[in-house]
Amino acid sequence: MADRDVEKSLKRTVRPGINTIEITAARELHARTVNARNPRNERAMQTTTTTTTMAKSSASFFKEPIPRHVCNSANNPPCKHCGRMIIPSPVATYPLEDNPSISINNWTITSRKRPILNSEELEDWETNKLSGLGALPEMIFGNNYISIKNVEKNWSIDFRALDALSMVNLEDSGIRVSYSKDWINSKLKTTAKEVHEDDLFEISSESLNIVKNYDWTYSTEYKGTVINYNDNDVIDFKTDNDLVLPIDKLSKPDQILFFDDMILFEDELADNGISILNVKIRVMNERLLLLSRFFLRVDDVIVRVYDTRIYVEFDENKVIREFKQYESEYNDLMANQKRVLAHSRDPKALLRDSNWVVEHIPLVKRQCEVIQF
Amino acid sequence: MDIDMDDVPMQDAELTPTINEETSINDHDDFQDIEFKPGSSGIADNKSNKPLELNSTNINQLDAWIEHLGKCEILSEDDVARLCKMAVDVLQFEENVQPVNVPVTICGDVHGQFHDLIELFKIGGPCPDTNYLFMGDYVDRGYYSVETVSYLVAMKVRYPSRITILRGNHESRQITQVYGFYDECLRKYGSANVWKMFTDLFDYFPITALVDNKIFCLHGGLSPMIETIDQVRELNRIQEVPHEGPMCDLLWSDPDDRGGWGISPRGAGFTFGQDISEQFNHTNDLSLVARAHQLVMEGYAWSHQQNVVTIFSAPNYCYRCGNQAAIMEVDENNNRQFLQYDPSVRPGEPTVSRKTPDYFL
Repeated sequence: MADRDVEKSLKRTVRPGINTIEITAARELHARTVNARNPRNERAMQTTTTTTTMAKSSASFFKEPIPRHVCNSANNPPCKHCGRMIIPSPVATYPLEDNPSISINNWTITSRKRPILNSEELEDWETNKLSGLGALPEMIFGNNYISIKNVEKNWSIDFRALDALSMVNLEDSGIRVSYSKDWINSKLKTTAKEVHEDDLFEISSESLNIVKNYDWTYSTEYKGTVINYNDNDVIDFKTDNDLVLPIDKLSKPDQILFFDDMILFEDELADNGISILNVKIRVMNERLLLLSRFFLRVDDVIVRVYDTRIYVEFDENKVIREFKQYESEYNDLMANQKRVLAHSRDPKALLRDSNWVVEHIPLVKRQCEVIQF
Repeated sequence: MDIDMDDVPMQDAELTPTINEETSINDHDDFQDIEFKPGSSGIADNKSNKPLELNSTNINQLDAWIEHLGKCEILSEDDVARLCKMAVDVLQFEENVQPVNVPVTICGDVHGQFHDLIELFKIGGPCPDTNYLFMGDYVDRGYYSVETVSYLVAMKVRYPSRITILRGNHESRQITQVYGFYDECLRKYGSANVWKMFTDLFDYFPITALVDNKIFCLHGGLSPMIETIDQVRELNRIQEVPHEGPMCDLLWSDPDDRGGWGISPRGAGFTFGQDISEQFNHTNDLSLVARAHQLVMEGYAWSHQQNVVTIFSAPNYCYRCGNQAAIMEVDENNNRQFLQYDPSVRPGEPTVSRKTPDYFL
């Protein structure tokens, strides 16, 4: 009985299509941001209070946070406290660019969004910066970043595509697309008849000039780029695997003052799945959480999620970094979740959802580090 | 696309699905068994043995469809069936290497970005006054694959000598099940019937075109099994895009800086170097290979010292790449000009959608 309910609710949640509630929320958000670009007036402020349902619900449960933050960008919609709430605003003209920023105590958080690299930049990355990679991902948002900076200590942790891609292994990953063997063998029928079946792949790789000096899945254990602006005062993380993130604090619906969500790079692996690095951040009055997620799915072969979380408690001046690796053979995941997938109207949609995938594949490795300023 | 379905442009709100959930669940109880059988839609059951002849009745019908589709409204399932049947009787008589005259405007991937396709026709000039050649990938990823492919097919049937539509690697049963077209058909029609009709129709699309005997146009690139254009003419193209072989290569391969033939580290798919393109152009007395298939920020990109050009016609690809799109005009004297354009901006609507803040953990 309980199982049926679970299935029922799953059906409902995986139903494809566009959720009207999200659309309404998105419309409201858009209206709010458009209003916010007008000079500040009474009406704009009113719109904010009636549409920020999140702010309302949190306000009814929790004391109004004391305004102590500074919004560093003029181009943002209003918040209750300083007149500005920072969610990057939609830009109706090209080129798209957002560069919002917020400061709380000693901390300044900045993000930037730009289009994918142009051909000049791409050429530079290909021939100079990342010359070891045989081919770069098809979409590189190389001018995007999120930066969390401690102004007093001149220390920051940034999330950038170039640094993430620099960590991609320059050796053969050993991973091949599902139909690779058939494909390679078909090329060899005429040339390698006498060769033993098991040796076929090796020999084929040589004779057909396979480019395998890099990991084409772009798997990266990137945990952010730590920058010490003062050379004589180097601050770095110390490992403490017993630490855990304070989920209770992070679960509180504290008002979000700054939110951003961006892709650093993405590749659809020639339609064999996806390799994507996504970073998102939410900043509340007392703390922030950043999640950088690398998600890989090679259809019928493998799924992989690498999560890096950065947690900053502003008043304690404490930074926790947690890194988790999840991985599973594609077929194992399919077998474990057979019942759910079979009853889903669009099972492929579940496999495209990194949140669903990460909940259903095993944790392979976890690390935790801390900095106390 | 992919993991980003909540990143939806706001004008999509009207498309909230009304699906008879029970039926569709029973239809696809076990997703391993999704109907894969080519030809099951029946659109090619009564093929004519001569090309479709246009008369005042079907011209009126087609004009009405085109007007309707031009407003980004879908046709009824029955009308899609009628349209696809007519299209089979046009496309089955085209060649593997469809000859195309100049002047013509050559376009790359569109990927269901219907409003940008309309923008393309504004930039390039309306069809049929301007001749068009599209190099595939009409469906998947964008939110209007159904409208986009219906519109282009209707134009093709209405003006068969004015517009040429080639097949891309996304015009296939397998790929469309993963990258959006299949889902979109289910959402907009409540069943997979329309998807079956279109994917059956895709089998008839020509795979390459030859513009004025000088520009060889195709979706992907060259194949080590194809040295002459005549070898393309000998292929049996009326089938699902195979996983290997010359037809697969033509729809999938990419040019590369490295010389010779390379194999992608993925373990499938060819790359070809400048020596290969030069040889191919020389052997076949061509001036250029024009292809699509790869995203480029400026909408077009030269490679192999102008032996190969890549054209990409989906601006702000996937609604978030911020890239320009381009089309290539070839005039009567074989002069080429690129036209670049940005996404269509409709008043009051943002081109970039935002996610609402969420309490992720």
